[in-house]
Amino acid sequence: MNRVTQRFLLPMIVCALSPSAWCLADDASSRLEIPEQVQGVLKSRCLECHEGDDAEGDVRFDQLAQLQLDSRLELLNSAQDQLFFGTMPPTDAPQLTNEDRLVLAQWLRSELCAHNASQLDKKLRYPDYGNYVEHDTLFNGRIQEKPFTPARRWLVSPQIFHERVNDVFLLTDSARQNTFYGVTNPFVLPDHSGVRDYDIAALDGGHLLVMLNNAEWISSKQIFAAVHFGRDRRTLEFSNPQDRWYPPTSPPAFVAIVNKSTGPTEQELVAAVHTQFNCVLKRDANDSELDRYLSLLKSTIELGGNTEGLRQMLVSVLLESEFLYRQEFGAGQPDEFGRRLLSPEEAAQAIAYALGDQGPDEELQQAASDGRLVTKDDYQREVQRLLADEGRFRGPVDPGLSGKNMQSHVSTHPKLVRFFREFFGYTGALKVFKDLPRSDGYYQNPSRGTAGTPGFLVKEADRVVDWYLQRDEDVFANLLTTRDFFVYHDKDNKTGQKIIAEWKEAYARLKDTDWKTDPERVIAENLDFIQSKKSLRIIGGHQTREFLRHMYFFGETIGKGRTPFTTVSFAHGYTYNHSPFYNLPPTPNPSRYSGVEQKNFKGLDDEEFWDYPVEQPFRIENRKGLLTHPAWLIAHSGNFHTDPIRRGRWIREKLLAGRVPDVPITVDAQVPDDPHKTFRERVEAVTGKAECWKCHQHMNPLGLPFEVFDDFGRYRLDEPLESPENLIARTTKKNGADTYRTKPVSTLGELLGTGDSKLDGRVTDPFDLIDRLAQSDRVRQSIIRHAFRFFMGRNEMLSDSQTLIDADKAYTDSSGSFKAVVVSLLTSDSFMYRKDVN
Amino acid sequence: MNSRREFLTQSLLNAGALSLLSQKLFAESSSNKPPTRFIFIHKGNGLPPQTLVPPSFSAKQLEAENRKDSFAVDLDGQDLPEWMSPLASHKDNLTILQGLSGKMCTTGHHTWCSSLGAFKANERLSSIKWATVDFELADMFPSPFGHIELACFPGGGGNSRGNINGIEKGFSARGPQQPNYAFGSPKVAVQELFKSVATDQEAQAQYQLQRKVLEFVASREAGLAKHLTETEQPKVANYADAVQSIRQRNGRVEAMGDVLRQHLPQLDARYLADDISTVDRQVGFTEVLLSTLISGMTNVVTFTVDELGTNYTGLPGIEGENVNQHDVGHGKPVRNVEATDVRKKIRHQHMNVIDTIVSRLKSVPEAGGTMFDNTMLFYFPDNGETHHSNGSEWPFLVLAGDNTRLDISRRYIRLPGYGKPGHKTLGNWYTTILNAYGNPINHYGSPDVGLTIDQFGPIEQFPA
Repeated sequence: MNRVTQRFLLPMIVCALSPSAWCLADDASSRLEIPEQVQGVLKSRCLECHEGDDAEGDVRFDQLAQLQLDSRLELLNSAQDQLFFGTMPPTDAPQLTNEDRLVLAQWLRSELCAHNASQLDKKLRYPDYGNYVEHDTLFNGRIQEKPFTPARRWLVSPQIFHERVNDVFLLTDSARQNTFYGVTNPFVLPDHSGVRDYDIAALDGGHLLVMLNNAEWISSKQIFAAVHFGRDRRTLEFSNPQDRWYPPTSPPAFVAIVNKSTGPTEQELVAAVHTQFNCVLKRDANDSELDRYLSLLKSTIELGGNTEGLRQMLVSVLLESEFLYRQEFGAGQPDEFGRRLLSPEEAAQAIAYALGDQGPDEELQQAASDGRLVTKDDYQREVQRLLADEGRFRGPVDPGLSGKNMQSHVSTHPKLVRFFREFFGYTGALKVFKDLPRSDGYYQNPSRGTAGTPGFLVKEADRVVDWYLQRDEDVFANLLTTRDFFVYHDKDNKTGQKIIAEWKEAYARLKDTDWKTDPERVIAENLDFIQSKKSLRIIGGHQTREFLRHMYFFGETIGKGRTPFTTVSFAHGYTYNHSPFYNLPPTPNPSRYSGVEQKNFKGLDDEEFWDYPVEQPFRIENRKGLLTHPAWLIAHSGNFHTDPIRRGRWIREKLLAGRVPDVPITVDAQVPDDPHKTFRERVEAVTGKAECWKCHQHMNPLGLPFEVFDDFGRYRLDEPLESPENLIARTTKKNGADTYRTKPVSTLGELLGTGDSKLDGRVTDPFDLIDRLAQSDRVRQSIIRHAFRFFMGRNEMLSDSQTLIDADKAYTDSSGSFKAVVVSLLTSDSFMYRKDVN
Repeated sequence: MNSRREFLTQSLLNAGALSLLSQKLFAESSSNKPPTRFIFIHKGNGLPPQTLVPPSFSAKQLEAENRKDSFAVDLDGQDLPEWMSPLASHKDNLTILQGLSGKMCTTGHHTWCSSLGAFKANERLSSIKWATVDFELADMFPSPFGHIELACFPGGGGNSRGNINGIEKGFSARGPQQPNYAFGSPKVAVQELFKSVATDQEAQAQYQLQRKVLEFVASREAGLAKHLTETEQPKVANYADAVQSIRQRNGRVEAMGDVLRQHLPQLDARYLADDISTVDRQVGFTEVLLSTLISGMTNVVTFTVDELGTNYTGLPGIEGENVNQHDVGHGKPVRNVEATDVRKKIRHQHMNVIDTIVSRLKSVPEAGGTMFDNTMLFYFPDNGETHHSNGSEWPFLVLAGDNTRLDISRRYIRLPGYGKPGHKTLGNWYTTILNAYGNPINHYGSPDVGLTIDQFGPIEQFPA
């Protein structure tokens, strides 16, 4: 057994014990009996430090049997953690033999399970612990256990919640709303890189507080629609003029009750209950539910009248916890492995929510009700159909990005893009505040109504992802190594080319006229021509000014042999100015052409602007893949500095399926100031100590090569030492950056952990590192593991081994199709089967 | 205590003591002794220490101030900085406390629960280490509603909320990984807090209907939770418990209906609108805060008067402006008003709020004195000493009634500068308050690992 395997012996044991990993309670007494063999291990390996009044850490094993049950379980849990994570015995103490480790681990586990108290099992369900399932074991094909997912409730994502609200109002197609005035989304996914939507979250009091308000608003709108059903909306009065929306239709069962002057009949009450169940929970109420709801409805109508009484019943259904969970319990007889297939209805929901945020479409529902959603082939047929459907899911990747000046990228399958944006974590750029002057005046932080510069960058990263998803070949390697990017690109290639052709034609025709001195005459003489070019928005109010602006703009772009960006910089609401974050020349800022129509206009200073590539994606120098995209680099940076440690940690955990222990609580993650050193030098000075290097060796060599990009994602060979004593010149530009002395950056690093000796080793720069990563089997498998987590909503267990091997094979057999991975995962036993575990 | 190990051990012991204490206090609260009330008011964009220095300081005092030497000055005879002028009549109750540090907190632009919890918080719930100090105090002085949080939410920036008028995650925490929810507008606060005593018949019927629905939902979800597996059970049980706890809380508030009716917030429509200026929002919240304290609905209110991402509207003199505090933090003027003066206007507005609170509480008789006698109010920044803070200083204004258990009133107190012998942190300060009011915790808050001095325990000079 090699050293690596030895090191992870315990993790394997614990996980192997898990069908998976949850333990059964029994009525074991609280009396503790320590088997002789365990006593022997404790005595020889633990008591030297953990005995008596001066025990290390005040942790004593010599009094274990005398401790109260709670204290004892706490100590045993702590011991189990220490063994599992390999932090005990300390490295400078005699180590446990494999046999001792096994004896101790099994005993700890049996004691804790006997009291239903093993905390480790709970921890292992959290995203941070996904990589503790040993990678090689998952992929070596020796695991025989049949895959399954524990029967579960999975809290809906913020997006699914929103769609469910749309469903409550029975909205379809264009009637579906992007926002609801009175609905606060109670769910927030964590911000970290990596898969964020897990089935471990539980509803709590906070969700309830928000849902109480939401249910009030939703039910009021349902009732409003019922009360005013069929009325001309222009004749309606709204209590809040800002909140005038209401659903266009109302279920007849509600209309019948609210429009009745007498009490409703039993039949009407029954219909109303079933209707609200179908609006909210997509099913009829069962008999017992119907009884209880009828009783409630009768009493609320008695107290509040037909309309208000009905509304309270609507509220009650909206507050069903079922509304906020995806329920997957399986149905029918368990197979010989104790697993049940998802019921057809559950399967329809599971497939729909795996590929989108809305519930099942009609075909999927029909397949479920016809009994055609049972076999792997059934699943495959539906998944492939939906993946091929370019209309069903078409929509913005992230409506939250859209604001007054920018709309989110639209994809045929936003959810697939979302996997990669979560995996790479580049949306984190939206959360890192930056100082404008340090960006030389180009960076705009997100604020109300705009996602600012990071919003543009995130959208452009989304486009890169979607571009390669659409091509669906070598997706992982392409995303890691592409040299082609989208920047600005607010028009498609064809439209952009047409605009530029018109602009060039116009400039060629007008440049030699007296446009500067007699613009009105030039406009008049060329009026028909100008009006014939749709891209020239000149004629109308302020046409002289607009004409001059166009001509100045063309003059310093087309006139200098460069192609301008396809939107003029003086257009209303123009906010494109982030090209410098790709090390591209700037584009004119919105105020550059202010005052061109004034008599005292002094002309423009000479400035070099970007020769805009209309056809995109296009090649950018010194970039290679998403890890060199400004969005990713900013997301993995701080307010004022790069973050090589986080960049390295991301590669270790996300690409190499590796693990880095949490920061010990005694570590204050501060990099010391030193005006004479680069950030890398300062990081190395503070992390190079032996006790720090133990963890930092897993991150620094992977993250430090990226020091060739600054914290705005700009490529650089020299780092400005931003300290007053290094100041060379203050900027003369508004919000510009001061000039400081610089030092060359070192881009050296080291890749260890691919398991491939041809790839492991020293790297010269991030591009070298990226090339090697893209060739690694382990990297490919690590991405597959994360895809598994995304679509299953949980960490993989060893019993999922076959599912992962199949998905990996599907990817390699299809020349790198991500859709093949999705089909493989969504037709796997892990996806189709549920099993009760405790 | 000389090691982290001992510190952690002590902390654990104290955690045990805390839960016992809570039970004891609950028992005591049934007596007629007035409760102690706490008001935490925090602001964004930093609170520069130099702005709190009385302009009447002598050259010698200023030298000591600049050296960050430890000293205390009686405020009697000192002029307050102009922006503090609304507090002039409360000088006897005022403490200007300088020199605390907060490097154990997240600093910089946004700090989430850091300033109240003395730990490094971020937007992730997992960063919430424990209940914030205001919740610890609310636990010690139980009330029908419990802790109340009001917030002028940030609408932009790295800490943005989608709906600033709703009930959103606030800046306090109920416990580890448990965010608190704050009321985002006076309207929603009034609706939620005073619904049991709504005056018109329709609203009252409405409340009764809501009671019925909650009863129904509580019973339904609790029934469902009974039959679930260990892993699944909390997913429903937590929800069921939450419904039940709202019902219990509503029951307690309902039982004090007569008192509540006497103290309903008197707010005209302007303050109950959805589209409301920041200043009006603060004024509206102030009335809600006073009503909840005076009625006895709560004993602890936390009030976010603003955060860096709160776009300021309605500031006197620049009413029409939508002030971006981040720009102000970077020295950008607003309509010819210099950034430092905008900051003064903002702080002056905060002082008006505090004056209203203190004056009103002083006018309410209680146990032979006034309600303010049993009240402590803290005003402080959520991120320390400046816009891009590093936590080297964390100034506080304290206004305390006569029955306060700290002997600090009517003083300007500067504690030793960061790292100097005797230097004190936010953790020491919160420990002092908790200890003084009966919570024996040895130290509240994360340690500052950059400090080499003994940093645990209360500030020994402060208890009365």
